[in-house]
Amino acid sequence: MANYMLLLHEQPTDYSKYSAEQIQAVMSEYTAWSRKVEAEGKYVGGQKLKDDFGKHISGINGTLRVTDGPYTEAKEVIGGYFAIRAENYAEALETAKGCPHLKYGGRIELREIEPTS
Amino acid sequence: MIQISETETQESIDHLFRHHAWQMVSVLCRIFGFDKLDLVEDAVQDAQIAALKKWPFSGFPDNPRAWLTEVAKNRVLDQLRREKKLDGTGDEDNLIADFTDYSSLYFLNEISDDQLRMIFACCHPANAPDAQVALTLKIVGGFSIAEIAGAYLSSEAAAAKIITRAKKKLRKNGVRLEMPQPSETGERLAPVLKVLYLIFNEGYAASTGDELIRTDLCFEAIRLCEFLSKHPVTASPKVHALAALFLFQGSRLASRVDQAGELVLLADQDRKSWDKEMIGRALKHFRLSASGGELSDFHLEAEIAALHTLAGTYKTTDWPRILKCYENLQKHSFSPVVELNRIVALGKINGPKNALAQLEQMDASNLQNYTLFHIIRAQFLSDLGEAGSALESYKTAMSLTQNEAILKFLRKKSRRVTSV
Repeated sequence: MANYMLLLHEQPTDYSKYSAEQIQAVMSEYTAWSRKVEAEGKYVGGQKLKDDFGKHISGINGTLRVTDGPYTEAKEVIGGYFAIRAENYAEALETAKGCPHLKYGGRIELREIEPTS
Repeated sequence: MIQISETETQESIDHLFRHHAWQMVSVLCRIFGFDKLDLVEDAVQDAQIAALKKWPFSGFPDNPRAWLTEVAKNRVLDQLRREKKLDGTGDEDNLIADFTDYSSLYFLNEISDDQLRMIFACCHPANAPDAQVALTLKIVGGFSIAEIAGAYLSSEAAAAKIITRAKKKLRKNGVRLEMPQPSETGERLAPVLKVLYLIFNEGYAASTGDELIRTDLCFEAIRLCEFLSKHPVTASPKVHALAALFLFQGSRLASRVDQAGELVLLADQDRKSWDKEMIGRALKHFRLSASGGELSDFHLEAEIAALHTLAGTYKTTDWPRILKCYENLQKHSFSPVVELNRIVALGKINGPKNALAQLEQMDASNLQNYTLFHIIRAQFLSDLGEAGSALESYKTAMSLTQNEAILKFLRKKSRRVTSV
C-alpha cells in the first residue's frame, strides 16, 4: 500500500454560463467520486487552493525574489489536490481516471508519495 | 412558517442551489437594496461557483445555506467597495448588522417575508404576464436564462431581453420590496397566482421543449404555491385550491408517458402508479380550500382534478359532476379550451354523436392550432365509425405538434383507425 497524490491542474473554467442546477450537478459528480473513493477505504484527504491570490518565491544567487503568479502568465494553475491510497500505481491510476476533474477541462498529475520512513 | 433545515426533503437537497438562490437573492436585496438586484444575482452565482470549487475537497459545510449566503454577501460587499459605494467608515457594518444569526427562528420568519416580497415584486402588475413569468422563474425559481428559453422555446437572447426589460420597468416604476397593504393583498395576489398557473400549465401541457425542464416547471409552481399557502399574509382558500389543483394534476405527471415514450391518456393510465404522497397533500389543500365562502375558478378546476384523481376507474368517473363544474367555469368566464373539456365530459354522458354535434357548433376559430382539439374531434369521429374523417383529424393533429410522445400516440391511433 502506498499513498498517491492527485495534483489537480485546472484551466480556470468559466462557470458563469452555468445554471444553478448545472453547477450543483457538477459538484455532485465530484462529491460522488470522493465518497466512492472513501467507501473503498482509499481516500486520504484533499484540499483546495485559493483561486485569487498567489506568488512565486525564488532564490537566485542568494537573493529571494517574490513575483506575482502563477496567474499572470500561466494558463494552468494547481487548483487543489486529493490524496488516495492504492496497492500500486496502476490501481491509483484507475481511481484517478474516474475523477470528474478530467471532464471539466482539468488535467491530473498523479504521483506516488515517497514514504517518510 | 417556512422551516429551513428540518423538513428538508431529498427533492429540495437535489435542487438546493436552484431553490436556495431565491432565498439568498431576497435576503441580500433586503440588506443591500432592490436596486442592487443584478449585483446580488451575480454574487449568488459566484457563491455557488465557489462552493463547486471548494466543497468537493472540504466536504459539505454544516449549514450549506448559511455558507452560501455568507460568501454571496461578501461578494456584494467586495463589489460595492470596488465601486467605492462603501468607504469603510462603518456604513457596511450597519448594512450587515442584522446579518449575524442566520439560523435563528426569528430570522427564518424574516427570510420567508423577504421571499414573499420578492414574489410580489416579480409579479408586479407594471409588467405583462409573460414578463412576470420570466422574472419569477429567473429570480424566484432560480432558473437560468438558457433553461427559461428552453422551456418556452425562445432564443436565449429573447428571454434575456424580456428579463432585462422587466427589471427596467420595475426600476422605472419605483417598485420596492414590500408587502402589500392588507386591503390590496387580494389584488396583488391575483397576478402571482396567475403566474404560477401559467408556469404549471407550460410544464404540464404536452407540446414541445425539454421534458426535464418542463417537469421542473410543474414542481416549481407547486413549491411556490405551497409556500404561499403557508405564509400568513397569503394563505387563503383560493391559494389552497390552486395548490390542490397542481398536486392532483402533478400526481399523474409520471404516468402520462409510458416506457416506450408514448403518450398515455387518462383513460389508459395505471391509477396505481399515481403519486400517493402528492394526492395526500392535494387532499389536505382541497379541504382547506373549502373554508371560505369564495368559489373561484381554481376551486372548480381543483374539484375537476379531484374527481378524476379519486375515481377508482376511468369508467366510474363522476362525469355529471365534472360536467357541472365545467358549466360553472363557463359561467365565470368563457374559454374555448374549457368548452372543449365540457364537450368531452358531455360525450361521456350523452355519447359521441351529441358531443361531436356540439363540437362542430362551437366557435373553434381560436382552436385550429390546438392539437388537443383535433385529437378530441378524431376520437369522436372514430367512435362513430367515421374512419376517413377521423384519420384526417389525426393527421391535422400530427402536423401541429413536435412532441414525440404525442406523435407516437397519434401514429398508433391512425394505424388503428385505418385497420378497422
